[in-house]
Amino acid sequence: MLKKDLIKRSPAGRIIGEEEIDRVNFGAVLSRAGVGKTQYLVQIALTKLLKNEKILHISLNDPIEKIKARYLEAYNDLVDSIGYVDPQKALRLWEEIKNEKIAVSYNEQTFDPEKIRAYLKSFKKDDLTLPALIIMDGLDFDQDLNDTLKGLEAISEKFGIPIWYSMQTHREQDFAPSGYPVQLEKVKDRFDKAVFLQPKNDKIESVILTDENRSNEYYLLNPATMMIVE
Amino acid sequence: MQRNLEKVRNIGISAHIDSGKTTLTERVLFYTDRIHKINEVRGKDGTGALMDSMELEKERGITIASAATHCDWKGYDINIIDTPGHVDFTVEVERSLRVLDGVILILCSVSGVQSQSITVDQQMKRYEVPCIAFVNKCDRSGANPFKVIDQLKNKLGHNAVPMQIPIGLEDRHDGVVDLVTMKAYYFEGAYGEKMVEKEIPEELQDEAARIREEMIDAASVFSDDLTDAILEEQPISEEMIYDAVRKGTNARQLTPVFMGSAYKNKAVQPLLNAVVEYLPSPLDIENEAIDLDNNDETVPLVSDFEKPTVALAFKLEDGKFGQLTYIRVYQGAVRKGDLLTNTRTGKKIRTGRLIRMHSSDMEEVNEIPAGHIGAIFGIDCASGDTFTGSGVNYSMMSMHIMDPVISLSLKPVDNKAEISMSKALNRFTKEDPTFKTYVDKETNETIIQGMGELHLDVYVERMRREYGAEVITGQPRVAYRETITRKSTFNYTHKKQTGGAGQFGRIAGYMEPTDEWFEFVNKITGGRIPTQYIPSCEQGFKSCMEKGPKMEFPVTGIRVTIDDGAYHAVDSSEMAFAAAARGAFLEAYSKAKPVIKEPIMKVVIETPNEFQGSCMGLINQRRGIIEGSQEEGVMSVIESKVPLSEMFGFSTVLRSSTQGKAQYTMEYSNYKQVPQSVAEEIVRKKEEEKKEDQK
Repeated sequence: MLKKDLIKRSPAGRIIGEEEIDRVNFGAVLSRAGVGKTQYLVQIALTKLLKNEKILHISLNDPIEKIKARYLEAYNDLVDSIGYVDPQKALRLWEEIKNEKIAVSYNEQTFDPEKIRAYLKSFKKDDLTLPALIIMDGLDFDQDLNDTLKGLEAISEKFGIPIWYSMQTHREQDFAPSGYPVQLEKVKDRFDKAVFLQPKNDKIESVILTDENRSNEYYLLNPATMMIVE
Repeated sequence: MQRNLEKVRNIGISAHIDSGKTTLTERVLFYTDRIHKINEVRGKDGTGALMDSMELEKERGITIASAATHCDWKGYDINIIDTPGHVDFTVEVERSLRVLDGVILILCSVSGVQSQSITVDQQMKRYEVPCIAFVNKCDRSGANPFKVIDQLKNKLGHNAVPMQIPIGLEDRHDGVVDLVTMKAYYFEGAYGEKMVEKEIPEELQDEAARIREEMIDAASVFSDDLTDAILEEQPISEEMIYDAVRKGTNARQLTPVFMGSAYKNKAVQPLLNAVVEYLPSPLDIENEAIDLDNNDETVPLVSDFEKPTVALAFKLEDGKFGQLTYIRVYQGAVRKGDLLTNTRTGKKIRTGRLIRMHSSDMEEVNEIPAGHIGAIFGIDCASGDTFTGSGVNYSMMSMHIMDPVISLSLKPVDNKAEISMSKALNRFTKEDPTFKTYVDKETNETIIQGMGELHLDVYVERMRREYGAEVITGQPRVAYRETITRKSTFNYTHKKQTGGAGQFGRIAGYMEPTDEWFEFVNKITGGRIPTQYIPSCEQGFKSCMEKGPKMEFPVTGIRVTIDDGAYHAVDSSEMAFAAAARGAFLEAYSKAKPVIKEPIMKVVIETPNEFQGSCMGLINQRRGIIEGSQEEGVMSVIESKVPLSEMFGFSTVLRSSTQGKAQYTMEYSNYKQVPQSVAEEIVRKKEEEKKEDQK
């Protein structure tokens, strides 16, 4: 029951569409530094964890302790958003789902998609359930990522796992003529879905850039919790 | 012994295995004139370092038991406990931390903060022991003390502040720059015994000034004088910095970091200066005991030699002259010939020889005053016992002791071995509360239990070497437990009224899960079960906890509530109600959805990056949960939780999967319900074993 309530409240589920999260090879959350890309990605991952599905969170910036803390914080924010919840019940659910998350922190300089492939292969080899989602946080889209994205695309297709990325934009940079941030413009053919976050007054505005059905849906988020402001 | 307690330090040296604590202690003893020659751990001369007094420790190059020693440094009396680094022996670390006032946390400048450093750090937190850090092995290839300082901050959450910077690293490590005195120190002589002060090399002056500023900034939080001096741009005296850093350290809000290389005899003397300068004296620490005569209220202990004595036995050793009991005196003084009471047993003991230990050598003393660590010969007690003088009945707080998670059967090869084994087990169980032993009633085998494979291995080995007890060991077995998952009711009548003395008792109520091992709640009203039979009911239920009725593992986590019953004026007896309770337990237990629980271990693998994927695969294969994996330079650290039953033989598999380049550590984490499919397999195996035993 609590699980269902939390999934319903999930900002990621509501903005992107619960089913839509899976219907991609690549998805991206874009914003300039410090707006809340990673926390938004964590909310996307939480929708999977709440269905008892495994997720693989790869970070090129955060140490694993920080990743763990981000998940706990996002879960607590989600719980708080539905009003009173029996704390014991919430804790039990957290204990149940937290182990579905695998956090891996790679060094940005030496990161190679082959490392992920080797790991996922071990799941196949031992006939274990594969992660349902990969979060890829910290790739620098100002660089030429062609080879890396190619490798990750192959992984997404081979193992059938959607990958959601964080993509950092810059305040001083103009948008491309298409209306996309330049970081997305360069790689837009590879991405099925992209969510753009930008500060608006004391809130954060979220809009989907690549979904025609939803491109006019704007949501305001609380910058502290990334929950939708009703 | 030093009676001015401001000049006493009781310190421990804690760290990850192989980070060089024994080597460091050896240097400390050399520089403080306690020994006149330095032996290396696993040294070429085959003698081993002095602190590793057990033969086995010398061979394995690790410290198993804490050896206590003391030394003098600049008029200060320093008592040192050398603590073991392997997690399997953490009870030793815990006991040491209980009696220490401060700790030097040693970290390797190459491998940095490792999983066991985290365990040791948690233990320090639990006992609120202030610490200073020493980044050792700065002479090693890949040494980077500043990376380690960052790890201290990020991984352990310390407010780590460098008090020195190195003069060169790796093979060019020559000495250190002290950021308080702003002088460079070099270490000359065959054993680095001559500390030479020079000006800071030019190329390090800017760096030293910058880091000193950061250090003073961090320290200023703890001293108004220092803050005022900074704001008013007044000169900052060395004393101001010492005072601020001492305050921060004692409040456990600042960790001053020192660096050097014990092996290359660099910068050990400044570390000794730091011990006396920054770590607390017994007067700075508040200790408490439980007053057994006053509703277990906590009472403060004062380091006053004239007050009634309170001392804690924190370690036992079997020596040539009988049992040697290490004690820390918290109040009063233990004097030769004193009459003390062991508050656990209530027995009075007369103290005989008192000694101060210097590793395996002893120095006889007449008294051990409050604030000091020493040892008593020839008294019979267990580790953790409290001794008090007349007028008080105090007990020191109990120490946090974990239940064993693994067992091993032992079979002595002959009668002689059986006698020796029994002697050895008697000794080990007294020394180590996490090591337990019992005789299995069905198989008649002696079973030993402990915290890990290595823990048990070491005791089996000690049995052979120290007691000459040759034993054959069985397969290690996991300590499974049973528990219930839902509430269920019982209403059981025990009736035997056909001939002879009759038996009658009816008990009704319910059982439900709880976090405690066992709870009994009596809600009988109106004398439906007479009061005199209630303890028998409780006893009857409790007796069923030893072995689950279905899977035969010890049962845990049950609350039994009785709320109804019946008795017979003639046929009811204590025995009848105990039997009724056993029947009621059986009736309710099977309905309460019993499950098996297994010990889960925290496993941390450190592997070269290229093997990260395959190591994570190994964890997956073992029903393990990967909590996270992190690249740190060329190495990856994988943190995971794995059932203990899946970890047997893991070291061999890990070696072959990583060309021997990965290593792992393992420690107990918690008990968790076994998945259904695995539970069925466990029950099947258990039944097979039972059949085998019956043959």
